[in-house]
Amino acid sequence: MSYILQTNNLTKTIGGKKLVSNVDLHIKKGEIYGFLGLNGAGKTTVMKMITNLWKPTNGKVEVFGKTLTPQSYEVLKRMGSIIEFPKFYEHMTGYENLKLHCEYMGYYNHGSIENALDMLDLTNAAAKPVKNYSLGMKERLGIARAILCKPELLILDEPTNGLDPAGMKQIRDLLKTLCTEYGITIMISSHILSEIEGIANTVGVIHHGMMMKEISMKEIEQMSLAYIELSVLNSKKAAYVLSEKLGLTNFKIIEDGQIRIYDNHVSPQELSKMLVLNDVEIIAFGKKAETLEDYFLKMTAEVKNV
Amino acid sequence: MFKLIKLEFKKGNVIKYIRNSTVMTVVLLLFLIATAGSAGADTTSMGLYERSIINAAVELYNNMAYIVFTGIMLASFIVEEYEKGTISLMFSYPIKRQKIMLSKIFAVWIFNVAALILSKLFIYAILSALSSSIGISAEDIPFDSLMFWLDMLLSTVVMISIAYIGLPIGLKTKSSKATVVAAVLIACFSHGNIMGYTLLGNVYYYALLVILAVLFIFLSIYDIETKDVI
Repeated sequence: MSYILQTNNLTKTIGGKKLVSNVDLHIKKGEIYGFLGLNGAGKTTVMKMITNLWKPTNGKVEVFGKTLTPQSYEVLKRMGSIIEFPKFYEHMTGYENLKLHCEYMGYYNHGSIENALDMLDLTNAAAKPVKNYSLGMKERLGIARAILCKPELLILDEPTNGLDPAGMKQIRDLLKTLCTEYGITIMISSHILSEIEGIANTVGVIHHGMMMKEISMKEIEQMSLAYIELSVLNSKKAAYVLSEKLGLTNFKIIEDGQIRIYDNHVSPQELSKMLVLNDVEIIAFGKKAETLEDYFLKMTAEVKNV
Repeated sequence: MFKLIKLEFKKGNVIKYIRNSTVMTVVLLLFLIATAGSAGADTTSMGLYERSIINAAVELYNNMAYIVFTGIMLASFIVEEYEKGTISLMFSYPIKRQKIMLSKIFAVWIFNVAALILSKLFIYAILSALSSSIGISAEDIPFDSLMFWLDMLLSTVVMISIAYIGLPIGLKTKSSKATVVAAVLIACFSHGNIMGYTLLGNVYYYALLVILAVLFIFLSIYDIETKDVI
Protein backbone atom coordinates (compact mmCIF):
# COMPACT_ATOMS: atom_id res chain seq x y z
CA MET A 1 0.00 0.00 0.00
CA SER A 2 1.25 3.49 -0.78
CA TYR A 3 1.12 6.12 1.88
CA ILE A 4 1.07 9.90 1.58
CA LEU A 5 3.30 10.04 4.65
CA GLN A 6 5.34 7.40 6.36
CA THR A 7 8.30 7.25 8.65
CA ASN A 8 10.81 4.49 8.92
CA ASN A 9 12.78 3.89 12.12
CA LEU A 10 12.57 7.58 12.86
CA THR A 11 14.85 8.42 15.75
CA LYS A 12 15.86 11.72 17.30
CA THR A 13 18.55 12.16 19.90
CA ILE A 14 19.45 15.53 21.38
CA GLY A 15 22.32 15.91 23.83
CA GLY A 16 22.54 12.14 24.29
CA LYS A 17 18.84 11.91 25.17
CA LYS A 18 16.65 9.82 22.89
CA LEU A 19 13.47 11.81 22.31
CA VAL A 20 11.88 9.33 19.91
CA SER A 21 13.08 5.93 18.91
CA ASN A 22 12.40 3.87 15.76
CA VAL A 23 9.03 5.42 15.04
CA ASP A 24 7.20 3.85 12.09
CA LEU A 25 3.99 5.53 11.13
CA HIS A 26 1.87 5.20 8.03
CA ILE A 27 -0.74 7.67 6.85
CA LYS A 28 -3.01 6.91 3.93
CA LYS A 29 -4.16 9.55 1.49
CA GLY A 30 -7.45 11.16 2.45
CA GLU A 31 -7.62 9.96 6.03
CA ILE A 32 -7.55 11.69 9.39
CA TYR A 33 -4.74 10.21 11.43
CA GLY A 34 -4.90 10.79 15.16
CA PHE A 35 -1.49 10.85 16.78
CA LEU A 36 -2.01 10.11 20.43
CA GLY A 37 0.34 10.37 23.31
CA LEU A 38 0.69 11.85 26.75
CA ASN A 39 2.51 15.16 27.16
CA GLY A 40 6.19 14.60 26.48
CA ALA A 41 5.59 11.32 24.61
CA GLY A 42 7.36 12.62 21.49
CA LYS A 43 4.48 13.78 19.29
CA THR A 44 5.91 17.24 18.60
CA THR A 45 9.39 15.82 17.95
CA VAL A 46 8.00 13.51 15.26
CA MET A 47 5.94 16.32 13.74
CA LYS A 48 8.94 18.64 13.67
CA MET A 49 10.86 16.02 11.70
CA ILE A 50 7.93 15.53 9.33
CA THR A 51 7.82 19.26 8.62
CA ASN A 52 11.61 19.32 8.19
CA LEU A 53 12.20 21.71 11.10
CA TRP A 54 14.26 19.04 12.82
CA LYS A 55 16.45 16.51 11.07
CA PRO A 56 16.29 12.85 12.10
CA THR A 57 19.28 11.35 13.89
CA ASN A 58 18.32 8.06 12.27
CA GLY A 59 15.63 6.78 9.99
CA LYS A 60 13.68 8.66 7.37
CA VAL A 61 10.48 10.48 6.58
CA GLU A 62 8.77 9.85 3.27
CA VAL A 63 6.22 12.43 2.12
CA PHE A 64 4.34 12.22 -1.17
CA GLY A 65 6.50 9.25 -2.08
CA LYS A 66 9.80 11.07 -1.65
CA THR A 67 12.30 10.85 1.15
CA LEU A 68 12.60 14.13 3.00
CA THR A 69 16.05 15.74 2.82
CA PRO A 70 17.23 19.13 4.11
CA GLN A 71 16.68 20.38 0.54
CA SER A 72 13.06 19.19 0.22
CA TYR A 73 11.58 22.66 -0.16
CA GLU A 74 8.96 21.85 -2.78
CA VAL A 75 7.28 19.35 -0.47
CA LEU A 76 6.58 22.18 1.98
CA LYS A 77 4.41 23.86 -0.66
CA ARG A 78 1.98 20.95 -0.42
CA MET A 79 1.86 20.92 3.36
CA GLY A 80 0.14 23.08 5.95
CA SER A 81 1.18 22.87 9.56
CA ILE A 82 0.88 24.08 13.10
CA ILE A 83 3.70 22.90 15.30
CA GLU A 84 3.31 23.74 18.98
CA PHE A 85 1.57 27.09 19.39
CA PRO A 86 1.17 29.09 16.14
CA LYS A 87 3.46 32.11 15.93
CA PHE A 88 2.59 35.38 14.22
CA TYR A 89 3.99 38.81 13.52
CA GLU A 90 2.01 40.35 16.34
CA HIS A 91 2.14 43.97 15.17
CA MET A 92 0.50 42.98 11.89
CA THR A 93 -3.22 42.31 11.52
CA GLY A 94 -4.65 38.83 11.09
CA TYR A 95 -5.31 39.59 7.42
CA GLU A 96 -1.76 40.88 6.87
CA ASN A 97 -0.29 37.78 8.48
CA LEU A 98 -2.27 35.55 6.13
CA LYS A 99 -1.35 37.69 3.13
CA LEU A 100 2.31 37.46 4.07
CA HIS A 101 1.96 33.69 4.32
CA CYS A 102 0.54 33.54 0.77
CA GLU A 103 3.46 35.63 -0.51
CA TYR A 104 6.05 33.32 1.02
CA MET A 105 4.20 30.22 -0.17
CA GLY A 106 3.90 31.68 -3.66
CA TYR A 107 0.13 31.15 -3.52
CA TYR A 108 -2.10 33.69 -5.22
CA ASN A 109 -5.78 32.91 -5.28
CA HIS A 110 -8.26 35.73 -5.08
CA GLY A 111 -10.61 35.47 -2.11
CA SER A 112 -8.75 32.62 -0.38
CA ILE A 113 -7.77 34.75 2.64
CA GLU A 114 -11.34 35.96 3.13
CA ASN A 115 -12.55 32.39 2.76
CA ALA A 116 -10.10 31.03 5.35
CA LEU A 117 -10.99 33.82 7.80
CA ASP A 118 -14.66 33.12 7.28
CA MET A 119 -14.24 29.38 7.87
CA LEU A 120 -12.65 30.10 11.25
CA ASP A 121 -15.08 32.91 12.21
CA LEU A 122 -12.36 35.54 12.16
CA THR A 123 -13.73 37.91 9.54
CA ASN A 124 -14.59 40.57 12.11
CA ALA A 125 -11.16 40.36 13.72
CA ALA A 126 -9.21 40.39 10.44
CA ALA A 127 -8.27 44.06 10.68
CA LYS A 128 -7.07 43.86 14.29
CA PRO A 129 -3.38 43.45 15.14
CA VAL A 130 -2.70 39.88 16.26
CA LYS A 131 -1.31 41.17 19.59
CA ASN A 132 -4.93 41.99 20.51
CA TYR A 133 -6.17 38.45 19.78
CA SER A 134 -7.13 36.02 22.52
CA LEU A 135 -5.37 32.66 22.80
CA GLY A 136 -8.25 30.88 21.09
CA MET A 137 -8.36 33.43 18.27
CA LYS A 138 -4.64 32.95 17.65
CA GLU A 139 -5.15 29.20 17.52
CA ARG A 140 -7.96 29.64 15.00
CA LEU A 141 -5.86 32.05 12.96
CA GLY A 142 -3.10 29.42 12.97
CA ILE A 143 -5.52 26.88 11.54
CA ALA A 144 -6.71 29.44 8.96
CA ARG A 145 -3.08 29.92 7.92
CA ALA A 146 -2.44 26.19 7.78
CA ILE A 147 -5.38 25.54 5.44
CA LEU A 148 -5.02 28.79 3.49
CA CYS A 149 -2.96 27.48 0.58
CA LYS A 150 -5.09 24.36 0.08
CA PRO A 151 -2.49 21.86 1.28
CA GLU A 152 -2.72 18.18 0.42
CA LEU A 153 -1.39 17.26 3.83
CA LEU A 154 -2.16 19.04 7.06
CA ILE A 155 0.04 18.50 10.12
CA LEU A 156 -1.63 19.82 13.26
CA ASP A 157 0.07 19.58 16.61
CA GLU A 158 -2.57 19.89 19.32
CA PRO A 159 -4.55 22.49 17.33
CA THR A 160 -7.36 22.86 19.82
CA ASN A 161 -5.16 24.04 22.71
CA GLY A 162 -6.68 27.15 24.20
CA LEU A 163 -10.07 26.64 22.58
CA ASP A 164 -13.35 26.41 24.47
CA PRO A 165 -15.57 23.32 23.95
CA ALA A 166 -17.60 25.08 21.24
CA GLY A 167 -14.39 26.11 19.47
CA MET A 168 -13.07 22.56 19.72
CA LYS A 169 -16.21 21.19 18.14
CA GLN A 170 -16.01 23.78 15.39
CA ILE A 171 -12.46 22.69 14.57
CA ARG A 172 -13.41 19.00 14.62
CA ASP A 173 -16.26 19.69 12.19
CA LEU A 174 -13.99 21.78 10.00
CA LEU A 175 -11.34 19.06 9.85
CA LYS A 176 -13.96 16.48 8.89
CA THR A 177 -15.18 18.78 6.12
CA LEU A 178 -11.65 19.42 4.87
CA CYS A 179 -11.03 15.70 4.74
CA THR A 180 -14.28 14.56 3.16
CA GLU A 181 -14.98 17.48 0.82
CA TYR A 182 -11.49 18.62 -0.14
CA GLY A 183 -9.67 15.30 0.21
CA ILE A 184 -7.03 16.79 2.52
CA THR A 185 -5.08 14.23 4.52
CA ILE A 186 -4.80 15.29 8.14
CA MET A 187 -2.42 14.25 10.86
CA ILE A 188 -3.58 15.62 14.18
CA SER A 189 -1.87 15.08 17.49
CA SER A 190 -3.54 15.29 20.83
CA HIS A 191 -3.43 14.07 24.37
CA ILE A 192 -7.18 14.55 24.66
CA LEU A 193 -8.55 11.27 23.36
CA SER A 194 -12.17 12.28 22.99
CA GLU A 195 -11.02 14.98 20.60
CA ILE A 196 -9.58 12.38 18.23
CA GLU A 197 -12.14 9.65 18.75
CA GLY A 198 -14.90 11.32 16.81
CA ILE A 199 -12.90 12.27 13.74
CA ALA A 200 -9.94 9.94 13.19
CA ASN A 201 -9.93 7.02 10.76
CA THR A 202 -6.68 5.68 12.14
CA VAL A 203 -4.82 6.31 15.36
CA GLY A 204 -1.18 5.95 16.21
CA VAL A 205 -0.22 5.72 19.85
CA ILE A 206 3.20 7.00 20.93
CA HIS A 207 4.47 6.45 24.44
CA HIS A 208 7.87 7.37 25.91
CA GLY A 209 9.13 8.11 22.38
CA MET A 210 8.13 4.75 20.99
CA MET A 211 5.33 3.91 18.61
CA MET A 212 3.06 1.51 20.46
CA LYS A 213 0.44 0.72 17.89
CA GLU A 214 -1.21 1.95 14.73
CA ILE A 215 -4.77 0.87 14.40
CA SER A 216 -7.88 1.91 12.52
CA MET A 217 -10.87 3.06 14.52
CA LYS A 218 -12.90 0.29 12.86
CA GLU A 219 -10.51 -2.30 14.23
CA ILE A 220 -10.77 -0.80 17.70
CA GLU A 221 -14.53 -1.04 17.47
CA GLN A 222 -14.36 -4.66 16.32
CA MET A 223 -11.75 -5.64 18.86
CA SER A 224 -13.39 -3.90 21.73
CA LEU A 225 -15.63 -5.75 24.09
CA ALA A 226 -19.00 -4.52 22.91
CA TYR A 227 -22.01 -5.68 24.94
CA ILE A 228 -25.65 -4.92 25.52
CA GLU A 229 -26.57 -3.95 29.02
CA LEU A 230 -30.10 -4.59 30.20
CA SER A 231 -31.95 -3.45 33.28
CA VAL A 232 -35.08 -5.51 33.90
CA LEU A 233 -37.50 -6.02 36.75
CA ASN A 234 -37.23 -9.78 36.72
CA SER A 235 -33.79 -11.02 35.80
CA LYS A 236 -34.62 -14.72 36.17
CA LYS A 237 -37.42 -14.43 33.66
CA ALA A 238 -35.21 -12.40 31.36
CA ALA A 239 -32.43 -15.01 31.57
CA TYR A 240 -34.92 -17.71 30.66
CA VAL A 241 -35.98 -15.80 27.54
CA LEU A 242 -32.37 -15.17 26.55
CA SER A 243 -31.31 -18.79 26.82
CA GLU A 244 -34.46 -20.66 25.85
CA LYS A 245 -36.12 -18.36 23.35
CA LEU A 246 -33.09 -16.70 21.79
CA GLY A 247 -30.58 -19.48 22.35
CA LEU A 248 -27.97 -17.13 23.86
CA THR A 249 -25.23 -18.57 26.02
CA ASN A 250 -22.80 -15.71 26.50
CA PHE A 251 -24.49 -13.41 28.99
CA LYS A 252 -24.01 -12.58 32.61
CA ILE A 253 -26.27 -11.41 35.42
CA ILE A 254 -24.18 -8.65 37.01
CA GLU A 255 -26.54 -7.99 39.88
CA ASP A 256 -30.19 -8.39 40.47
CA GLY A 257 -32.00 -6.81 37.52
CA GLN A 258 -28.85 -6.12 35.50
CA ILE A 259 -27.69 -8.35 32.65
CA ARG A 260 -24.81 -8.02 30.20
CA ILE A 261 -25.10 -9.82 26.89
CA TYR A 262 -21.82 -10.47 25.09
CA ASP A 263 -23.25 -12.56 22.23
CA ASN A 264 -22.93 -10.43 19.16
CA HIS A 265 -25.19 -12.34 16.80
CA VAL A 266 -28.36 -10.96 18.27
CA SER A 267 -29.55 -7.51 17.29
CA PRO A 268 -30.87 -5.07 19.93
CA GLN A 269 -34.20 -4.91 18.06
CA GLU A 270 -34.66 -8.68 18.09
CA LEU A 271 -33.69 -8.82 21.73
CA SER A 272 -36.08 -6.12 22.92
CA LYS A 273 -38.92 -7.54 20.84
CA MET A 274 -38.52 -11.01 22.33
CA LEU A 275 -38.32 -9.68 25.89
CA VAL A 276 -41.46 -7.60 25.45
CA LEU A 277 -43.35 -10.50 23.85
CA ASN A 278 -42.49 -12.61 26.89
CA ASP A 279 -43.68 -9.95 29.32
CA VAL A 280 -40.23 -9.02 30.64
CA GLU A 281 -40.39 -5.41 31.76
CA ILE A 282 -37.37 -3.44 30.56
CA ILE A 283 -36.17 -0.48 32.62
CA ALA A 284 -33.06 0.40 30.60
CA PHE A 285 -31.43 -0.91 27.48
CA GLY A 286 -28.11 0.16 25.98
CA LYS A 287 -25.23 -0.90 23.78
CA LYS A 288 -21.83 -0.27 25.34
CA ALA A 289 -18.32 -0.53 23.95
CA GLU A 290 -14.77 0.07 25.01
CA THR A 291 -13.79 3.64 24.19
CA LEU A 292 -10.55 4.81 22.59
CA GLU A 293 -9.65 6.10 26.02
CA ASP A 294 -10.01 2.59 27.53
CA TYR A 295 -7.88 1.23 24.71
CA PHE A 296 -5.22 3.91 25.13
CA LEU A 297 -5.05 3.58 28.90
CA LYS A 298 -4.77 -0.19 28.60
CA MET A 299 -1.91 0.14 26.16
CA THR A 300 0.09 2.71 28.13
CA ALA A 301 -0.53 0.78 31.35
CA GLU A 302 0.86 -2.38 29.72
CA VAL A 303 4.07 -0.53 28.96
CA LYS A 304 4.31 0.75 32.50
CA ASN A 305 3.94 -2.77 33.84
CA VAL A 306 6.54 -4.32 31.55
CA MET B 1 15.81 37.66 -3.54
CA PHE B 2 14.47 41.14 -4.28
CA LYS B 3 10.95 39.99 -3.43
CA LEU B 4 12.16 38.42 -0.17
CA ILE B 5 13.93 41.65 0.80
CA LYS B 6 10.73 43.58 0.07
CA LEU B 7 8.78 41.19 2.30
CA GLU B 8 11.34 41.67 5.06
CA PHE B 9 10.81 45.42 4.91
CA LYS B 10 7.06 44.94 5.03
CA LYS B 11 7.24 42.48 7.91
CA GLY B 12 9.82 44.50 9.82
CA ASN B 13 7.72 47.68 9.66
CA VAL B 14 10.33 49.67 7.76
CA ILE B 15 8.30 52.89 8.06
CA LYS B 16 9.09 52.90 11.77
CA TYR B 17 12.81 52.72 11.03
CA ILE B 18 12.61 55.48 8.40
CA ARG B 19 10.95 57.69 11.02
CA ASN B 20 13.50 56.81 13.69
CA SER B 21 16.51 57.33 11.46
CA THR B 22 15.12 60.70 10.38
CA VAL B 23 14.75 61.77 14.02
CA MET B 24 18.27 60.52 14.74
CA THR B 25 19.69 62.48 11.80
CA VAL B 26 18.02 65.68 12.98
CA VAL B 27 19.41 65.19 16.51
CA LEU B 28 22.90 64.58 15.09
CA LEU B 29 22.58 67.71 12.95
CA LEU B 30 21.60 69.87 15.91
CA PHE B 31 24.49 68.48 17.93
CA LEU B 32 26.94 69.17 15.10
CA ILE B 33 25.61 72.71 14.60
CA ALA B 34 26.03 73.35 18.32
CA THR B 35 29.64 72.12 18.31
CA ALA B 36 30.68 73.25 14.83
CA GLY B 37 32.06 76.60 15.97
CA SER B 38 34.76 74.97 18.06
CA ALA B 39 35.85 72.73 15.17
CA GLY B 40 38.10 75.36 13.65
CA ALA B 41 39.98 74.81 10.43
CA ASP B 42 42.29 71.99 11.54
CA THR B 43 42.54 68.78 9.63
CA THR B 44 42.84 65.17 10.68
CA SER B 45 43.94 62.08 8.80
CA MET B 46 41.09 59.80 9.82
CA GLY B 47 39.82 58.81 6.39
CA LEU B 48 41.18 58.31 2.93
CA TYR B 49 42.29 61.92 2.86
CA GLU B 50 42.89 64.85 5.18
CA ARG B 51 39.44 65.50 6.58
CA SER B 52 38.59 68.81 8.13
CA ILE B 53 37.53 68.54 11.77
CA ILE B 54 33.85 69.17 10.96
CA ASN B 55 34.03 66.61 8.15
CA ALA B 56 35.57 64.10 10.58
CA ALA B 57 32.96 64.91 13.22
CA VAL B 58 30.08 64.29 10.81
CA GLU B 59 31.62 60.96 9.84
CA LEU B 60 32.38 59.96 13.43
CA TYR B 61 28.99 60.65 14.99
CA ASN B 62 26.97 59.39 12.02
CA ASN B 63 28.99 56.21 11.71
CA MET B 64 28.78 55.44 15.42
CA ALA B 65 25.06 56.15 15.54
CA TYR B 66 24.36 53.96 12.53
CA ILE B 67 26.47 51.05 13.77
CA VAL B 68 24.16 50.96 16.79
CA PHE B 69 21.10 51.51 14.59
CA THR B 70 22.17 48.58 12.39
CA GLY B 71 22.53 46.46 15.52
CA ILE B 72 19.00 47.40 16.56
CA MET B 73 17.66 46.44 13.14
CA LEU B 74 19.60 43.16 13.11
CA ALA B 75 18.08 42.37 16.49
CA SER B 76 14.60 43.11 15.23
CA PHE B 77 14.83 41.57 11.74
CA ILE B 78 16.83 38.45 12.58
CA VAL B 79 17.45 37.70 16.24
CA GLU B 80 13.86 38.42 17.34
CA GLU B 81 12.61 35.81 14.87
CA TYR B 82 14.57 33.24 16.88
CA GLU B 83 13.59 34.80 20.20
CA LYS B 84 9.87 34.79 19.39
CA GLY B 85 9.88 31.51 17.47
CA THR B 86 8.62 32.95 14.18
CA ILE B 87 11.74 31.54 12.51
CA SER B 88 10.01 28.11 12.60
CA LEU B 89 7.29 29.62 10.46
CA MET B 90 9.84 31.15 8.08
CA PHE B 91 11.61 27.81 7.72
CA SER B 92 8.35 26.04 6.96
CA TYR B 93 8.16 27.91 3.66
CA PRO B 94 9.36 26.34 0.42
CA ILE B 95 12.40 28.60 0.31
CA LYS B 96 16.05 27.79 0.98
CA ARG B 97 16.87 28.81 4.53
CA GLN B 98 20.11 30.49 3.46
CA LYS B 99 18.12 32.61 1.03
CA ILE B 100 15.74 33.65 3.81
CA MET B 101 18.66 34.60 6.07
CA LEU B 102 20.48 36.45 3.29
CA SER B 103 17.33 38.42 2.47
CA LYS B 104 17.22 39.59 6.09
CA ILE B 105 20.93 40.39 6.15
CA PHE B 106 20.70 42.35 2.89
CA ALA B 107 17.50 44.14 3.92
CA VAL B 108 19.19 45.57 7.02
CA TRP B 109 22.41 46.33 5.13
CA ILE B 110 20.70 48.08 2.22
CA PHE B 111 18.50 50.13 4.53
CA ASN B 112 21.35 51.28 6.75
CA VAL B 113 23.82 52.03 3.97
CA ALA B 114 21.15 54.12 2.21
CA ALA B 115 20.03 55.79 5.44
CA LEU B 116 23.60 56.62 6.49
CA ILE B 117 24.48 58.11 3.11
CA LEU B 118 21.29 60.18 3.11
CA SER B 119 21.87 61.24 6.68
CA LYS B 120 25.43 62.40 5.94
CA LEU B 121 24.36 64.18 2.75
CA PHE B 122 21.57 65.97 4.57
CA ILE B 123 23.85 67.04 7.41
CA TYR B 124 26.65 68.13 5.05
CA ALA B 125 24.15 70.14 2.95
CA ILE B 126 22.71 71.95 5.97
CA LEU B 127 26.13 72.59 7.55
CA SER B 128 27.41 73.89 4.24
CA ALA B 129 24.40 76.19 3.85
CA LEU B 130 24.91 77.49 7.37
CA SER B 131 28.71 77.55 7.19
CA SER B 132 29.21 81.28 7.66
CA SER B 133 26.76 81.55 10.54
CA ILE B 134 28.13 78.58 12.49
CA GLY B 135 31.78 79.47 12.12
CA ILE B 136 33.05 76.93 9.60
CA SER B 137 34.57 77.52 6.22
CA ALA B 138 32.86 76.29 3.04
CA GLU B 139 36.10 74.42 2.14
CA ASP B 140 35.73 72.27 5.27
CA ILE B 141 33.09 70.31 3.37
CA PRO B 142 34.72 69.84 -0.06
CA PHE B 143 31.80 68.77 -2.25
CA ASP B 144 33.97 69.22 -5.34
CA SER B 145 36.57 66.71 -4.20
CA LEU B 146 36.28 63.16 -5.53
CA MET B 147 38.15 61.90 -2.44
CA PHE B 148 35.49 63.41 -0.21
CA TRP B 149 32.77 61.36 -1.93
CA LEU B 150 34.87 58.19 -2.08
CA ASP B 151 35.78 58.55 1.59
CA MET B 152 32.16 59.05 2.60
CA LEU B 153 30.86 56.08 0.59
CA LEU B 154 33.63 53.75 1.70
CA SER B 155 33.35 54.65 5.37
CA THR B 156 29.57 54.13 5.16
CA VAL B 157 29.89 50.66 3.64
CA VAL B 158 32.65 49.66 6.06
CA MET B 159 30.86 50.89 9.18
CA ILE B 160 27.53 49.25 8.38
CA SER B 161 29.32 46.01 7.50
CA ILE B 162 31.31 45.82 10.73
CA ALA B 163 28.09 46.17 12.73
CA TYR B 164 27.36 42.58 11.61
CA ILE B 165 30.12 41.26 13.86
CA GLY B 166 27.51 41.32 16.65
CA LEU B 167 25.05 39.15 14.71
CA PRO B 168 26.47 35.71 15.61
CA ILE B 169 26.52 36.77 19.27
CA GLY B 170 22.81 37.59 19.04
CA LEU B 171 22.05 34.37 17.19
CA LYS B 172 24.04 32.24 19.61
CA THR B 173 22.39 33.78 22.67
CA LYS B 174 19.02 34.25 20.92
CA SER B 175 18.95 37.65 22.55
CA SER B 176 18.19 40.91 20.79
CA LYS B 177 19.60 42.78 23.78
CA ALA B 178 22.95 41.04 23.31
CA THR B 179 22.91 42.03 19.63
CA VAL B 180 22.39 45.69 20.47
CA VAL B 181 25.01 45.66 23.25
CA ALA B 182 27.46 44.07 20.81
CA ALA B 183 26.74 46.86 18.30
CA VAL B 184 27.38 49.53 20.94
CA LEU B 185 30.70 47.88 21.81
CA ILE B 186 31.66 47.68 18.13
CA ALA B 187 30.84 51.38 17.73
CA CYS B 188 33.03 52.21 20.73
CA PHE B 189 35.96 49.97 19.76
CA SER B 190 35.99 51.17 16.18
CA HIS B 191 35.78 54.86 17.04
CA GLY B 192 36.84 55.19 20.66
CA ASN B 193 40.00 56.56 22.16
CA ILE B 194 41.57 54.69 25.06
CA MET B 195 44.50 56.44 26.79
CA GLY B 196 45.22 58.32 23.60
CA TYR B 197 45.34 55.13 21.58
CA THR B 198 42.73 54.79 18.85
CA LEU B 199 42.06 52.53 15.92
CA LEU B 200 40.05 55.28 14.26
CA GLY B 201 41.15 55.76 10.69
CA ASN B 202 43.33 52.65 10.61
CA VAL B 203 42.50 51.25 7.19
CA TYR B 204 44.01 47.80 7.88
CA TYR B 205 42.03 47.50 11.05
CA TYR B 206 38.78 48.33 9.25
CA ALA B 207 39.60 45.89 6.45
CA LEU B 208 40.17 43.20 9.07
CA LEU B 209 36.82 43.98 10.74
CA VAL B 210 34.96 43.78 7.42
CA ILE B 211 36.59 40.41 6.67
CA LEU B 212 35.63 39.28 10.15
CA ALA B 213 32.02 40.42 9.64
CA VAL B 214 31.75 38.54 6.33
CA LEU B 215 33.28 35.46 7.95
CA PHE B 216 30.86 35.65 10.88
CA ILE B 217 27.88 35.97 8.54
CA PHE B 218 29.12 32.95 6.60
CA LEU B 219 29.57 30.94 9.79
CA SER B 220 26.07 31.92 10.93
CA ILE B 221 24.35 30.55 7.85
CA TYR B 222 26.57 28.01 6.07
CA ASP B 223 25.05 24.94 7.75
CA ILE B 224 21.62 26.38 8.46
CA GLU B 225 19.85 23.96 6.10
CA THR B 226 20.79 20.96 8.21
CA LYS B 227 20.42 22.55 11.62
CA ASP B 228 17.42 21.91 13.84
CA VAL B 229 15.25 24.95 14.48
CA ILE B 230 15.19 25.17 18.25
